[in-house]
Amino acid sequence: MSAISVIRLTGELEISRKDEISRALHLVGSEGGVLVDFFDVTYADSTTLAELLRFRREADGQGIPVAIVIGSRQFARLIQYAGLGDAFPVFDNRGAALTYLGAEAKA
Amino acid sequence: MLGTSHLRLNCLARPESAKPIRHAVAAFLAVFELDPDFADDVLTATGEALANAIEHAYAGRDPADIEVHAAYEDQVKLSVDVWDRGDFIERERQPNRGFGIRIVQAIASDVRIETNGGTRVHMEFLPPTVTGG
Repeated sequence: MSAISVIRLTGELEISRKDEISRALHLVGSEGGVLVDFFDVTYADSTTLAELLRFRREADGQGIPVAIVIGSRQFARLIQYAGLGDAFPVFDNRGAALTYLGAEAKA
Repeated sequence: MLGTSHLRLNCLARPESAKPIRHAVAAFLAVFELDPDFADDVLTATGEALANAIEHAYAGRDPADIEVHAAYEDQVKLSVDVWDRGDFIERERQPNRGFGIRIVQAIASDVRIETNGGTRVHMEFLPPTVTGG
């Protein structure tokens, strides 16, 4: 079974952290999938969405499943307002995201 | 507490300016004990307009001023203006870009963008009505 990589960012993800977000969202040893853990993100803006879309496209290109965990209502609504409700597999807890990645790895 | 309350802020168009400006607007909104999701949405829209100005208004030259004006009128109408004196460039939508204005339009009840001598984004928000009591 391939390992699942975890990318974790916390706090406020916005324009001043654009480079940090971009650097964090990279595929390294992620064959079993990537859990993007944004559970402790308290604010996000479209900077983050753009980087997530780029990352998702790269992962799709390599057949690597991605699951995103979001804990804040602001972030969840941001995705809806951007019209990206179907763009990412989003979960509100890590357990559900890991279950999803496990199932995807077996599929 | 009727009448109009105002908040006026000024900052340099730098990425590190966005967070303190947003927090100042959050503190302004907190005074009125608004619905938390509504207040978050106003901050989201304000953050998008601010980030857009920071990223694009003075691209390729020294950053200059951005002004933010929030007003809450008779506890009925909330507006936020974000304006700069830079260049307004109509940008084509790139695959992973251009969500800012879409987000603003999804949240605000009215959005007007004026491009005379800079760019001014005027956003109006209608707080959810309180029922019962």
